[in-house]
Amino acid sequence: MLETQNLRAGYGHITVLWDLSLTFREGALTAIVGPNGAGKTTLLRALTGLIPHKGEIRLGGERLAGKTWDLAGQGIVMVPEGRLVFRDMSVEENLCLGAYPKRCRGDLSPGLDRVYGLFPRLRERRGQMAGSLSGGEAQMLAMGRGLMSQPKILLIDEPSLGLAPVIVSEVFDIIARLKEAGTTILLVEQNTRVALSVADDVHLLRGGQVRLSAPAAQVDLDHLHDLYFAREAQSA
Amino acid sequence: MTDLILQALFSGLLVGSVYALVALGLALSFGAMRIINLAHGELVLLAAYCAYVVEARAGLDPYLAIPLALVVVSVVCAALFLMIDRIREHRELNSLILTFGIGIVLTNAILLVFASDVRTTASPQLQDATSIGPVYAMNGEIVAFGVSLALMVALWWWLKKSWYGRAVRAVSSNRAAATLMGISPVRTELVSFLVAGALASFAGVALYTMSVVQPALGHALTVKAFIVTVLAGVGSIPGVFLAAILLGVTEALTVTLASSALQELAGMVLFLLVLFLLPNGLFGARARRG
Repeated sequence: MLETQNLRAGYGHITVLWDLSLTFREGALTAIVGPNGAGKTTLLRALTGLIPHKGEIRLGGERLAGKTWDLAGQGIVMVPEGRLVFRDMSVEENLCLGAYPKRCRGDLSPGLDRVYGLFPRLRERRGQMAGSLSGGEAQMLAMGRGLMSQPKILLIDEPSLGLAPVIVSEVFDIIARLKEAGTTILLVEQNTRVALSVADDVHLLRGGQVRLSAPAAQVDLDHLHDLYFAREAQSA
Repeated sequence: MTDLILQALFSGLLVGSVYALVALGLALSFGAMRIINLAHGELVLLAAYCAYVVEARAGLDPYLAIPLALVVVSVVCAALFLMIDRIREHRELNSLILTFGIGIVLTNAILLVFASDVRTTASPQLQDATSIGPVYAMNGEIVAFGVSLALMVALWWWLKKSWYGRAVRAVSSNRAAATLMGISPVRTELVSFLVAGALASFAGVALYTMSVVQPALGHALTVKAFIVTVLAGVGSIPGVFLAAILLGVTEALTVTLASSALQELAGMVLFLLVLFLLPNGLFGARARRG
């Protein structure tokens, strides 16, 4: 589905990602975990065209290039860190803006119904300004807005950031349901435990390189944490 | 005396609606681009002189100048946009200098071509007065008021319902998020700039048919639009409309009760009072974020 080959990206003279070659399977939930500064968000920024890259990004075998807004139209849709909802617009208006890419326009009500089905809380608050939502609700709104863009792959950046633990599990329940509904998801998350609980595949990034790639079922959390914190493996 | 005051209130309402159009144009380009277009009043003036050319030089109805004004102002807007888009650093600040300079160039170009004489419509139909209860208005003023109201409703609808309008609001609200939704910020900025120009075109023609224009008016119009925007606080269309009427009424009352020499001063005093007493504007409780 989505692949990168020798992907190199960074900011100005500073290279953050060193020749990443990753594959994200269709219909699967791939989690990217890693410590602060590992390059997780940089990877998402490169994939969505927010920063320039070297190497190749391919979607369904075709090489992707273009500005961020073109890529959103092609189905690479990001749910950004910090939600970035349109605070002075209503919940429903936020969702409608998700359908901005030309291929998503037309009758919005089936899409809205689907999102409201996933997030009943948003239906209750459809007329409310997005700026008045709680953190968890704003995260749901950002995800719902992303779904309205009919993503081929949905990139979710740090959904647990700044949320109370009970809300985190609620958000991850919904992510698991999105996966079951067949959405291809790339999840970037610092919280490895919750990330592993929903993921099919896991890639561990550290220092801009892949340290581990494995199906989530085969990943041992202690081993992952050793790699995460760059500790020598103490036990086999 | 009561009649005079009523008349002043009514005249203020009529001219205020045109101020609202000018201010909404200024607010629209500010919202999407975060720049203050100090040449906005000159764009209005350019449209007013289009109406003058069509009426006085071609001998046609001044309202027929609207298509011409739309074309002329759009071309100038697009050129202005291309220049602003070339600014790479400190766009907010540098664009002030750029648009201020363009305003001076436009004023002097108008002065060069049309001389410094005061111009207004010569059409007897437009200058005829109609009485509405105890007050009177020129037909031109009434048409201008109606057109302004219709344009404000159209603008509201456009911002609320059309994809371009939604994009303008999204970019104004959160540029980064809008980009991720598939919205090209630069194209949206251009659209907002052109719509601001279209509002200026209508406002200019309206001004010519209801009032007098002269080459130095552009700057004064920008200042009025700026005052209205600050009075209204964070931009909602009804808020801008009410603030513009407040400015129009203040000016008209000043002319009636004191002297027309004090008209601009009264607007400034109103502006200062609001800045001191209600720094968020009359209707702006919310602050912009993001």
